[in-house]
Amino acid sequence: MGLAVLLLVFVFGLVIGVPVAVTLGLASLAYLTYMGIPAVVMPQKMYAGMDVFVLLSIPGFILAGNLMNRGGITHRIIRFANALVGWVRGGLGLTNVGASMLFGGITGTAVADAASIGGVMIPGMKKAGYTPEFSAAVTAASSTVGPIIPPSVPMIIVGALSGISVGKMFLAGAIPGILMGIAMMVTAYIIAVRQNFPRQNWLGASEIVRSFGGAFWALAMTAIIIYGLLSGIATPTETAVIASVYAFVVGAFIYRELPIREVPKIIIDSAISSAAILVLVGFANVFGWILVSERIPQAIAASVLQFTDNKYVVILIINILLLFVGMFMETIAALIILFVPLLALAQAVGIDPLHFATFAVLNLMIGLTTPPLGVCLFVCANIARVPLTPVVIAILPFLVTNILVLFLVSYVPAIATWLPSVLTR
Amino acid sequence: MSVTRLETFFITLCRAGILLAFGALILSVLIQVLGRTFGSSPVWTEELTRFALLYIAAFGAGLSLRSGDLVNVDIVCESLKGNWPWRLRLLSALCTAGLCTILILPAWQYVSIGRLQTSPAVEVRMDFVHASVLVLLFILLVFSLIRIIGMVLGSDQGLPDRKEEVS
Repeated sequence: MGLAVLLLVFVFGLVIGVPVAVTLGLASLAYLTYMGIPAVVMPQKMYAGMDVFVLLSIPGFILAGNLMNRGGITHRIIRFANALVGWVRGGLGLTNVGASMLFGGITGTAVADAASIGGVMIPGMKKAGYTPEFSAAVTAASSTVGPIIPPSVPMIIVGALSGISVGKMFLAGAIPGILMGIAMMVTAYIIAVRQNFPRQNWLGASEIVRSFGGAFWALAMTAIIIYGLLSGIATPTETAVIASVYAFVVGAFIYRELPIREVPKIIIDSAISSAAILVLVGFANVFGWILVSERIPQAIAASVLQFTDNKYVVILIINILLLFVGMFMETIAALIILFVPLLALAQAVGIDPLHFATFAVLNLMIGLTTPPLGVCLFVCANIARVPLTPVVIAILPFLVTNILVLFLVSYVPAIATWLPSVLTR
Repeated sequence: MSVTRLETFFITLCRAGILLAFGALILSVLIQVLGRTFGSSPVWTEELTRFALLYIAAFGAGLSLRSGDLVNVDIVCESLKGNWPWRLRLLSALCTAGLCTILILPAWQYVSIGRLQTSPAVEVRMDFVHASVLVLLFILLVFSLIRIIGMVLGSDQGLPDRKEEVS
């Protein structure tokens, strides 16, 4: 009965639009009250949930991304991506995907990618003769590679929830992220040929070299992050703070586009984004503690295993469930609530936790572009100034592509696990 | 003091708290890295970093409610006809305020427990650290109350005050 109270309050809170974090708190409080457990457990568990070493890196990575973003990185990355692939038919679509892949190595959040790249690319594509809905769709779809290619805020959260190494997860995301990017470039190209979208002039190898020189300092941040984590000389938190200091120096003194007076505002904005995640993690820790006390992860695993213990069918079930949830729920919230229960199920059928973490994060990132609740869709449709429906239709080919990559990663574990196994021996 | 002035006061307070906590986080991590590179790093840096993070959450919570970063699922309530979206936004703010109000006393109890403990490295009394949860709930309560009052008085629609996208 206690469990019914928990779930009823949770669903009610979600439906009436209470913030997800508060909903988790309300449901937990209702459960504790019903079961006669003292409410002091709540602040205690909230504290324990937020006081996790791995979470320390979240504000740093968000700040580094925001500083780079404001420091003039966007147009340099777009110029470099354009020099590489802009000359192909529908080249600006490919540039858009390429820029998201490069940008993903810096920010770690999809919405930041969609807003930054979209702010420059969508008006540029419209001006060059691309339809606004295609421009918005390709930007939204490609922004989802951001949290797959390291660094990744969702992966840090998974690390905090499950104890899986954040460094290994970052590496596990690299190949799937690149695969997703390439697949979306192919999709953008096919659409461009069919719709006869324009191509840019080939600007020559010298433009590639020149634009690489411009983007070098920004791209080097990805290398610093990967090196910091792989070499073991720095923890994820230290790497994130070093990346922030680096981003500040590059933006303020090398690119000279980061106004120093804006730094406090950027810090505050980064802290607000981080706080929202931490509050969610804090309340979710109480909720998760109740679920574990009620043995819900085991119950979910047992009920699915009663139906099938076939690993491949279980992967299919998990993916369908996450895709469905991702359509209606914010990604981080879905991850926090569902990851641990589903991890128990995945481990019960012998799925490697690192592999599971990779395809679960990839799956929920796709949810950022699925209606009715696809944050990146909203952001890009808003920038393109078009209604949501045509963008939803235009994004369908990209969704199919991303789901195909998801299933490839889900059924071929080596795509995720090979790189960490080689580099972290 | 008018509601607007009260809101401005708390926004300023939270921003100052964020800058202090974020500054402490960055500084202690840099001391840790530099210390390790050029000798040995002090033992208190990791602990101070953790405490700073808790206060980033505490001071940022209210502002995240205000900005809409504290996400909700609004597809049902915002698609309703007439005055229902407004009513549900008010109910949502009331739920937030209610939860925080109920949890203030347990949070105070939790803070009191911390009085008996001292952190091993920074050697600060743990009630000052546990107080981050109390501050978080209090600030969340203040901003939800400000939203409720604004909605009742008609100066606020209860919609998030989206922060400017970093372009």
